[in-house]
Amino acid sequence: MKSRPKPYVFPEYCKGCGRCIDSCPKGCITMGKEVNPLTGLIPIELSLDQCSGCGLCISACPEPFGLRAQETEFEFELTDPKSFNGPRPKPLVKPFAIPGEVIPFAQTESLVTKGTYASAIGALLAGCRHFFGYPITPSTEGAELMAKLLPDLDGVFIQAVSEVATVNMMYGCSGAGLPCMTFTSSPGFSLMLEGISYSIGAELPGVFVNIMRGGPGLGNLGPEQADIKLVCRGLGHGNTHAIVLAPYTPQEMLDLTMLAFELTFKYRNPVIIVGDGYMGQMTGRVNLPKTMIKPGIPEWAVYGDESHRGNLICSIELNEADLERNNIHINNKYRQMTQNEQRADLYHCDDAEIILMACNTPARMAKGAVRELRKQGLKVGLFRPITLWPFPIDLLKPILSHTKQIITVEAGNGQLEDELRMALSHHNLECPSIDHVRRFGGILPQLKEIIEKVISVEEVLA
Amino acid sequence: MKSSIFYEKFERHAHGEGLKANSTHYCPGCGHGLAHKYLAEAIDELQIQNRTVLVSPVGCSVFMYYYFDVGNTQAAHGRAPAVALGHKVANPESIVISYQGDGDLASIGLAEIIQAAQLGIPISVIFINNAIYGMTGGQLAPTTLMEQKTSTSPHGRNRIMGQPLRMAEMIAQIDGPMYVERVALFDNKQRNHAKKAIKKGIQLQVEGRGFSFVEVLAECPTHLKMTPQEAEIWVRDKMLPVFPLGVKKDEPREPWFKLNKPNFDPNKLKELVGGTSDKVARFSPGFPHHISPSDISLKLAGSGGDGAQTAAMLITRAGINEGFDATHIPSYGPESRGGTSYADVHVAETEVLSPASPNPNILIAFNAPSLAKFGPHVQNGGTIIYDSSIITAPPIFNHGTIIYGIPFTQIAMDLGKVMVKNIVALGALHAATDIFPKETFLTAIRQALKDKCAMIPINEEAFEWGIRAYNGEYEFPGESVL
Ligand code: SF4
Ligand code: SF4
Ligand code: SF4
Repeated sequence: MKSRPKPYVFPEYCKGCGRCIDSCPKGCITMGKEVNPLTGLIPIELSLDQCSGCGLCISACPEPFGLRAQETEFEFELTDPKSFNGPRPKPLVKPFAIPGEVIPFAQTESLVTKGTYASAIGALLAGCRHFFGYPITPSTEGAELMAKLLPDLDGVFIQAVSEVATVNMMYGCSGAGLPCMTFTSSPGFSLMLEGISYSIGAELPGVFVNIMRGGPGLGNLGPEQADIKLVCRGLGHGNTHAIVLAPYTPQEMLDLTMLAFELTFKYRNPVIIVGDGYMGQMTGRVNLPKTMIKPGIPEWAVYGDESHRGNLICSIELNEADLERNNIHINNKYRQMTQNEQRADLYHCDDAEIILMACNTPARMAKGAVRELRKQGLKVGLFRPITLWPFPIDLLKPILSHTKQIITVEAGNGQLEDELRMALSHHNLECPSIDHVRRFGGILPQLKEIIEKVISVEEVLA
Repeated sequence: MKSSIFYEKFERHAHGEGLKANSTHYCPGCGHGLAHKYLAEAIDELQIQNRTVLVSPVGCSVFMYYYFDVGNTQAAHGRAPAVALGHKVANPESIVISYQGDGDLASIGLAEIIQAAQLGIPISVIFINNAIYGMTGGQLAPTTLMEQKTSTSPHGRNRIMGQPLRMAEMIAQIDGPMYVERVALFDNKQRNHAKKAIKKGIQLQVEGRGFSFVEVLAECPTHLKMTPQEAEIWVRDKMLPVFPLGVKKDEPREPWFKLNKPNFDPNKLKELVGGTSDKVARFSPGFPHHISPSDISLKLAGSGGDGAQTAAMLITRAGINEGFDATHIPSYGPESRGGTSYADVHVAETEVLSPASPNPNILIAFNAPSLAKFGPHVQNGGTIIYDSSIITAPPIFNHGTIIYGIPFTQIAMDLGKVMVKNIVALGALHAATDIFPKETFLTAIRQALKDKCAMIPINEEAFEWGIRAYNGEYEFPGESVL
């Protein structure tokens, strides 16, 4: 019979817990008498004359480098554990990426479809085959379409037990490096914030479509824009930001969802799409793009294969200096987003003296107002931020010289206006007079009241 | 054991400096270390190191990623099973292990563990029950024993704090899991058994059979304020009566879990989203300026089954087919269930701006409340079409609207399908307003019914009867069948 290996222990890796002592049927192990100067703990002592090599003590030792079996005869005091453990059977390989592909997509006629569907279709075109969500009006149709189509695309749809579970399933799927998304609405989005903060900390992608409804609390199901503060300034705890995209047509629901997937992987940071309830529910014309995406697997992913074994998805940095460094790194990403990703649509702004500022559905009413007022000869324009964060201040700046008045139009209590004011202040720009049209509770600002506001302001200016 | 599953050097533990490079952060004698060791052995023996994704929780074992040379993800408090599911469905070949303590799994994360168990997707859960919160400093856990003193039950757990929660038993009675066992670490026999249970739970996943849950009664000498030896005895004498060891469920299952690789065939996707390269014919001579200069606003209103939304969709589609812009906003939420159902539609020459229709050019009313509610808001000179088989005494509006009563329902019933009353309404809409040519509507109807071709003739007929009724060519039968 082959003699079984006997145990050995490095005193500095023994915590002196004594669990091995009782485990030895031969009484080979005793508590030591001397405090180890390196650890401040008292390691055990072995006297192996009676040892049968049963290994029970090894199984009783909680420390990975505590009691171990001697594979060969050697002087272990002279050997460091690295060489003693021998070559690693499965050495770590340096993580590498598996690249994605851009695939041509045949030209098609326009679809006639609703906003949430358009967004879901955009996600499929962007390569998303994993969806996690919890039903909530008025966003659920997006999830329903995913549930219908994903099985035919060998994708996965999971209805989570809550929005909290949703965002954490996304965390796992994104952690594996795959594109995934959810549709939700205001109260559900509130529940996802902790997970979004974790995703930002762990540098994970993920696309969140928040079809905002009336609040606070349960509020109602009507269209509102009162989560702008939340998505621009309140993405959970910590120094968090994410690119926030605000579509204003079903077409943009598709286009901006595709863009969201691109940006979320580009920056390894979540991207939020916000629309008011109408944006989710409205049906309209949607043209499909000329290409679609087959995603790869990024280098950093924890996919569960050899090439990604060395990776870690984690938002913990215990050491203050490390966490500060991580924050600086994340803040640098925010700076890059701010520099590169500002987007806005300017309508009749070139010579405008009065600028309407609105996003989502209210931007449509505002655009209608601009059209009417231009007919009356008033120099009115519409500045429509497409990215709410970063606020597109660089695009606003050039037209400020001839702007006498900005009127924000929103279904909320000035949250878009606050973004504007903050951006002006951060850029030391002289703040023109700012007025507003605000509705709440599921009521959108109407064309008529926007026009009335502009005319009343114009009278003062004149 | 010659395990390669632990890193040779714990680089993530205080940057791998000093002794921390080779020792854990656990207190002496902590049960976590043993569970780690058995987990590492199982991964090694099953030869799944490259495929393993280990999800660490929040709690004392939050830093598992310091030690295990596998793919590592650290989850938010309580959410490890949700994170694990995300990993598993992203790569079904990966072997995903969700490791949690009692605060994490049995308190804050109850919903996540119950759902994961219910889904039964093969992941392996290792649940460390040491009857106390370790990391936060010895507070009451859901598994704390009665009368046990903790920092948040300083006088001992009493009735108002509830009784200890038996997770293994709870999980075992859910249909999803196939293997549930409670094991312990307090002597050689138990340790040997724990090792086997942990390995078995993972093996079932490797074989694609199902969800496993292994609860490990572990020692937290620090917060029990005992030596490790005393803690072992405490687990044996005090915990065992409350948390009996043994197999709670072991239900043989054939391997079943398999997911195909996601499909990225553009033709398939095009077909699924309803994309077509077929050009749609146009029939309209131009925008119907006679209704409104550049933007026509419609409202369709009725009750749940009237088909107002479908009719609205068809008008929208017809408008877009003709190269105009069109939008449709349905009523949604509780309003759309059973009660009223209304739709706002716009057709614009270039771009729909305000998509809501508070003051429509055209109102189609399927019932009396809708007519009464929206009729007064129709624009001066606008058109109202209502179902005269339902609304027998329409209110009188004094604001210059033209009102047509068309028996939508009666005609549809005569045709043998009450469902097509909305198509009758569209026929009448066409006849009364000439918003689009007849062929435009019929094309939109055929497109919508392309998967239900058998329904096309009756719909065409309904449309035709809508026109005839407008022209006075429909005789209302003497006796209403309504
Ligand atoms: S191997 Fe067995 S006999 Fe030898 S010291 Fe360990 S427990 Fe005792
Ligand atoms: S079980 Fe391990 S750590 Fe504890 S006393 Fe024995 S050798 Fe030391
Ligand atoms: S506090 Fe308890 S559970 Fe945590 S490491 Fe120490 S002994 Fe282990």
